[in-house]
Amino acid sequence: MAQINQDKCVGCKICMTYCTVDAIHQDGKKCYINQDECTECYVCLRQHVCPRDAIEAVELEGFYKQFQHVMSDPVENHGVTGVTGRGTEEVKTNDVSGRVKKGEVGICIDMGRPGLGVYLRDAEKVAMSCAKAGVKLATADHTPLGALMPDLSTGKLADECHDYHLLSVIIEGKCPEANLKNVIEALQAVEGEIDTVFSLGLILRVDENGNTSALDCLDELGIPLPYRGKVNVGLGIPLSLA
Amino acid sequence: MTHSLHRSGDLESQKRDFNWFMYQTKGVNDVGIKPKALAFIAAAEAAGSENWGDVKTGPITRFSSEEIREKLTDKSRIRGVFTRREQVIEFLKRIKAQELGQSVVITGVLSEVLPACKETGVTPHSINYSLGVWGKKEKLPDDVTLSITTMCGHHMIPPKFVKHIMKQVEGGRMTPEEGATKLSDFCYCGIFNQVRCAEIIKDNIKKDSVV
Repeated sequence: MAQINQDKCVGCKICMTYCTVDAIHQDGKKCYINQDECTECYVCLRQHVCPRDAIEAVELEGFYKQFQHVMSDPVENHGVTGVTGRGTEEVKTNDVSGRVKKGEVGICIDMGRPGLGVYLRDAEKVAMSCAKAGVKLATADHTPLGALMPDLSTGKLADECHDYHLLSVIIEGKCPEANLKNVIEALQAVEGEIDTVFSLGLILRVDENGNTSALDCLDELGIPLPYRGKVNVGLGIPLSLA
Repeated sequence: MTHSLHRSGDLESQKRDFNWFMYQTKGVNDVGIKPKALAFIAAAEAAGSENWGDVKTGPITRFSSEEIREKLTDKSRIRGVFTRREQVIEFLKRIKAQELGQSVVITGVLSEVLPACKETGVTPHSINYSLGVWGKKEKLPDDVTLSITTMCGHHMIPPKFVKHIMKQVEGGRMTPEEGATKLSDFCYCGIFNQVRCAEIIKDNIKKDSVV
């Protein structure tokens, strides 16, 4: 946990420029980190921003505090998935793993990004909305958030985690292509109920020209066709041949 | 993680912004990756990758190529930046010819990336499409700041630091390129496009203040 040593702080406020979520404030002549807002991203520590070395790392106590840090600091590996960043392989190894198959849509919701961060209570609202709309949420083996869901069929998170603030966490799951419209309508409904933002990614198998008809439903929903994509170019050796 | 997918800003500017990635799959091809990672780095450098790095060490804007190579482990994640479609084509041709078996991902504007795939003779397998930002968008920083901060998808770049750098450039205390390099230091992965960032800074400060 990052905190500012009050004996060393001279109140220069330099550190406030370096906080990713504006969690550093000044009280009188000293700066302090609001621990409810801090995401434990450790940018203030890694960039060595304090001229008096007043910013210190204190041991992270408990599972949720460690989870918060691992999700917010991309240098860390997630303990179960073994992947850095936010600990999920999504489209990037789909040519090898075959995780999202033809006829399926991978739902990839980056909660809290760009840059606002997310309290897990808001992640829960979106996850529950997805589950209700028919998304099969990913297990803890595949995505870190699964470890906080006692029942994947509902998307509800453990109550104790609700007030932790993360720089970002991904809600992942799959649904049949035929159900995509329902899922997007559910997201359109829940986006007004959260106090942050999310970035939405849809993972699809594509034809040899990189096209798919699964996105045709976007027009009916008044959503422009996406112009950016993360393209897995199919050079990995499939798991069945590895 | 989708840290390269949701970049924002002017579309023409985004067309000069590509990310390349080598990925290992857990339990399948994630052991002894260093020789393959070195092959990817060699191909990227030959194609002119402007930035690249390993999240476990950092980007080449901050560490030497030799140091990053030396510290490669099975936990490394190798990725970087191109600014032209021709570089993507050259990179993919070199990787395809070596049949390394690792997953390869190119992120960018699809009207640029897909023709590059076609010209190289690689067949896209899957795409993660960006459907943009949802929710309380009124809480976001301004569009110019976002066009810079979203180039580090893990959001290690504080919006206030972007403003600070813009002021430094406006005040003639650093060039746009120096400012962009300072911002790139925050992105440990090496996917921050400092070339595009310098262009954005130039386009958004008072013209007569550029040093």
